[in-house]
Amino acid sequence: MAHIEIDAPGTTQLLLGNEAIARGALEAGIGFATAYPGTPSSEIMGTLAPIARKMGFYAEWSINEMVAFEAASAASLSNIRALSSMKANGVNVITDFLVNLQMTGVGKGLVLVVCDDPGGMTSSNEQDTRPIAKWLNIPLLEPSTAQECKDMTAWAFELSEELGMVSMVRSVTYLSHTRGTVRFGKLPANTKTARFAEFYDIDNPRQSRYTCGMQFHPYKQSEVLLNRFSKAPEYCEGSPFNAYSGPEAPELLIISSGICWTYATEAVSILQVHDRVGILKLGTTWPLPEGLISRHLERSDKVLFIEEIAPFVERSVMELAASLPGDHARPTFYGKRSGHVRAWGEQNLNLVIQSLAKVMGTSYRSRQTLSPAYQSTVNEVEKILPTRPLTFCPGCPHRASFWAIKHALQLDGRNGFVTGDIGCTAMGMISPGSFQVRTYYAMGGGVGIANGFGHLERFSFNQPVIAVCGDSTFFHASIPGLINGVWNRSNFTLAILDNSATAMTGFQPHPGTGVTATGDPGKKVSIEALCQSLGVPVAVCDPFDLTGTIATLLRMLRDEEPTKVVILRRECELVRARRDKEKPYKMYVDPARCIGEECGCNRLCTRVFSCPGLVWDKEAGKAMIDEAVCSGCGLCAGVCPQGAIMRDAA
Amino acid sequence: MTKYASKKLYDEVIDNGLCTLCGGCTGLCPYLFLHDGRVVRVHQCDLDEGQCYQYCPRTHTDMDAISRAIFGAPYGEDEIGIAREVFLARSTDQEIHLKAQDGGIVTTLLSVALTEGMIDGAVETKLDGEKIPHGVIARNRKELLECAGVSYEPSPILEAFNRLPRQSTEKLGFVGLPCHVTCLSKMRLLPPINRAPIENGKLVIGLFCGWTLSHGFHQFLTERFDLTKAIKFDIPHHPAHSFDLYTKSETQSVDLDELRPFINTACRYCIDMTAEFADISVGSGRALFKGWNTVIVRTKAGAELVEIAKKDRAMEIQPIPDESLTNLKRASLNKKRNAVHRIIDRTGSRKDLGYLGISGSLAGKLLS
Repeated sequence: MAHIEIDAPGTTQLLLGNEAIARGALEAGIGFATAYPGTPSSEIMGTLAPIARKMGFYAEWSINEMVAFEAASAASLSNIRALSSMKANGVNVITDFLVNLQMTGVGKGLVLVVCDDPGGMTSSNEQDTRPIAKWLNIPLLEPSTAQECKDMTAWAFELSEELGMVSMVRSVTYLSHTRGTVRFGKLPANTKTARFAEFYDIDNPRQSRYTCGMQFHPYKQSEVLLNRFSKAPEYCEGSPFNAYSGPEAPELLIISSGICWTYATEAVSILQVHDRVGILKLGTTWPLPEGLISRHLERSDKVLFIEEIAPFVERSVMELAASLPGDHARPTFYGKRSGHVRAWGEQNLNLVIQSLAKVMGTSYRSRQTLSPAYQSTVNEVEKILPTRPLTFCPGCPHRASFWAIKHALQLDGRNGFVTGDIGCTAMGMISPGSFQVRTYYAMGGGVGIANGFGHLERFSFNQPVIAVCGDSTFFHASIPGLINGVWNRSNFTLAILDNSATAMTGFQPHPGTGVTATGDPGKKVSIEALCQSLGVPVAVCDPFDLTGTIATLLRMLRDEEPTKVVILRRECELVRARRDKEKPYKMYVDPARCIGEECGCNRLCTRVFSCPGLVWDKEAGKAMIDEAVCSGCGLCAGVCPQGAIMRDAA
Repeated sequence: MTKYASKKLYDEVIDNGLCTLCGGCTGLCPYLFLHDGRVVRVHQCDLDEGQCYQYCPRTHTDMDAISRAIFGAPYGEDEIGIAREVFLARSTDQEIHLKAQDGGIVTTLLSVALTEGMIDGAVETKLDGEKIPHGVIARNRKELLECAGVSYEPSPILEAFNRLPRQSTEKLGFVGLPCHVTCLSKMRLLPPINRAPIENGKLVIGLFCGWTLSHGFHQFLTERFDLTKAIKFDIPHHPAHSFDLYTKSETQSVDLDELRPFINTACRYCIDMTAEFADISVGSGRALFKGWNTVIVRTKAGAELVEIAKKDRAMEIQPIPDESLTNLKRASLNKKRNAVHRIIDRTGSRKDLGYLGISGSLAGKLLS
């Protein structure tokens, strides 16, 4: 485990990119940190929160990214350096506030760290957040290494203060989650005093009105903002995070940023084209160091852009080239636009080598191209490897919830469906959730979209709708959707799958858990009390009581009140297992009762219910418990139609 | 492509409007559930052969084979099936009369069978608090009395049998409509697996049936009446033309025509009015003999039970007048003719009788 809080300048540690970002914030003398969990960003707050008290700053897991960023802004406006971290989707949530914060500017350094997820490996999309920096005139920094994660985060605070506006650091999955050596700098002395709107002149209140410089006429403020931002290029131009390496006048210039710069460097080395190819590494990708780039554009006939995800630098440099004087040499541009670089998904060394070889016209045998003999061995092995589809964990309450939801919707018989939300519950889209989830968009999107389905009755729409969200998702963005439904009498049932954890991202606390990021007691918020206050039917079920849950859901689907809430509450199995070492039940299959594939069962447990703790013994033609995997939750005993799965108190 | 059995059941029977809601496919199966007047397939079962399809009274049914197994004779032209004896009877038990529909003979015969140790329990219909019929097993006189009376909604009595443990040794009597009896007969022909042994069934009492009311009938009832107060339902015979609901203090009626839309479409393709494969079939005494039952004794087991009941003076008997018997036969024959005509209307061919496995010559006679 890294000790990012030690005050030992000059020493090195092996840190995750996200840990290095946290260290950078410490070295910048951070006083306030907020975040909402989201892969690949979660380790930043995960690193900061445990040391917050010791290091004398405030750390918070917030209810959502918007509140997180707004709270961090308050600290900044009050003379305290603040950092807010989130995944790409979080930036969409904060955008409205961000646009308006740009109008006022900030006080002390305010840094927004965004971790994009190229390929969308743990996200609903693979959006590139960099264009928002260009759109809103926000200085944007892209580290390439763990060391730069730390150094650029620290510098981002200075930049924010120099320009009087928020600055943005953009990481990507591979950088955030890869360890690299980081040389530590000094930790500043901890003396901070927060002040905001201290002076209210009772004789002249007009003077104290716009504490943060907000003007009544936005257009006037636009001018202020542009003036403020006009200083940014000079900081970027001289930044040591932009660097060129290679021959004076290379045949090909690679312009790269972020983790892709390391792929580009290695690709040049592997193809042994050092003498022909130069690499311009950009650490400040908005605004661009225009002078530096212009000088290098003159020296090459060909330019190749290597970056993740969108052709952001590529397009910005092409804009720059278009604005260069008429006699300026214009190279040929290669990249995502020209089709030389794959325009989707995560980049990797092999892809970058292929792109480079293509532009250079050299032949290269991909490292993924195996000898025929080895390839045939691989093919053989692939045949016997078991498939490992995504699934709910053994003992997961969501498996029970979706089992009950499927039964209820089928029994109801009106072609009902589920509108899904972000988090573990999204697996309701695939086999472990019996493919019940039919829409899946954004945090709070499940109940939001249900609001619309619930008003289509006048167009002879009669399918019941169950909106599903997790407990953390409920707090994050589902509450307005629920209230809107109640207010406008939209016909849907909100099923809150409350496993009392933000499980997908690593068990961060939320308002329902009653514990804060720093492990201190918070005020616990009751989901059912909140829902009951809306005056609509609210039921709380234990999803492991399948019969009772199905009956409750059926009743709610037929209830005359349009908007209903069912809270399906059972603790996340991983949280339970961390706390209790003992399994609740000792599970086993009575082979005399198990009828396997025969009519009357046909492997319901291993074929349909599909908990990973249940395995099919093909030779014996019986189900078995995999004791290494089984969590001992006992649910399957109630699913087996023959009563063959036995559960004994552990 | 081979179709899964449960899918075939859906395509051929359930989605085709032929499901009688007998409960033969549910109760044991974890894929099929009877809910709110529908058989619902909750998950996919990928067995090519399944008992759901095998025992359904609306999948291919070899009437000759069943008849030979029960009576040692092929399925014939008798309008009311093979009968040893037909008579009118009513119970001598006043407690039964208070609860029962007509003459109380079903409850009386079951009571005798229980007392004599012929059966340990009777697979029966019981109405719940909302007057929805369910299959139950009545194991004593008190439970039998709770099952007395008639529901005009289909009752999934076979669910109760399917739910019994495989190891069950209980000797059972069944009380069912002709569709239930057909399903049971198919089970007896080729015994089920993973259910209680069908040989435990020692007695089948069939109920005369014209049709059942489903497709929203229960919803209609709940909207029209306070069902919690209902103690009995009746559709009195011609010339009456009503559906009557009895409470403790009054009788409420609905014109029979209002109920026509609720007649289960499956019943329109049924040729069996008198439960021809039962040991004993029981119907009402019709208008002429109100408070009496018409009883058809068909098998040796049935005859033995009737003899004991007579000897015990559990029931009072009188011969059925020729005119009544003729009317019964005419009604039964009409049901057969109508059903066969409707089936060929559907199949579009006089050679294709759908599920109904009867000889071509019998079909020809019914169609003539």
